[in-house]
Amino acid sequence: MRPVALRIARRTFATAVHPHPVASSSSAASAIPLSNVEAQWEKLASDEQLAVHQQLEELQKKDWKTLSLAEKKAAYYVAFGPHGPRTPINPPGTSTKVILGVLGLIGAAGATYAGMRSLAAPPPKTLTREWEEAANERAKELKLNPITGVSSEGYTGKGFVQSK
Amino acid sequence: MRSQMISTLLRARPVLRATPALTRPSSTAHQETFESFTERYVSFFQQAQDLFEVQRGLNNCFAHDLVPAPAVIESALRAARRVNDYSTAVRIFEGVREKVENKNQYEAYLEELKPVREELGIETKEELFSS
Repeated sequence: MRPVALRIARRTFATAVHPHPVASSSSAASAIPLSNVEAQWEKLASDEQLAVHQQLEELQKKDWKTLSLAEKKAAYYVAFGPHGPRTPINPPGTSTKVILGVLGLIGAAGATYAGMRSLAAPPPKTLTREWEEAANERAKELKLNPITGVSSEGYTGKGFVQSK
Repeated sequence: MRSQMISTLLRARPVLRATPALTRPSSTAHQETFESFTERYVSFFQQAQDLFEVQRGLNNCFAHDLVPAPAVIESALRAARRVNDYSTAVRIFEGVREKVENKNQYEAYLEELKPVREELGIETKEELFSS
């Protein structure tokens, strides 16, 4: 029972590495500085990571008050840092990128709209207030729609006028 | 081993027979009080012998809809010390910060556990990564 539990307890570093390079890893242990382990952790080879793990395991057996801040940081980072399964789904700065992208697209859409408007033909000459009022006059002259419409008695509607 | 198991089973049998035959399963029958929860986990962490056990206990302990009492946290910290895993000790405080409702409660926990933290030399994650 106990050996199995121990093996599971070491799963954090037993999964990725093969146990063969024990001799080489102990020589590599001195090569990796713990102060900068956070920056280069992703780039380390798996046997180097194993070496760091073993180094930290030995360190954490000491009195914790004697550990330096860098060693504590390294121990925490290696165990629970944002790497492997704890890699954040979105790298930092993603939301800024998304906001800027959306604002850029809205700006592009506005620019396209303004550009199309500036290149378009002018509105037709019949879409003026003057023309529409003249059309009302002409409609009354011709008695268009005499029951409910423009030439009925006491008509208060706008008739053909639609421009402001 | 086997004969021991059989003997314990045999010893347990009269007790089983003594329980009433007509009991209904009830959802309210086995609700654990906060005190017995605390007691259970304090003794669990006192007996935990390896990192896997400690982390399993922490997972279970922090999975409930309550913030574990300072006594539980303290025995968990001592268990982390016993299995020589500093990072788990830091992680326990991270768990507390996730479970409490507001900053003041977290501060209260930190204050309450200050003696243990100083005794064992445990920094919180904020203290580690702020500088």
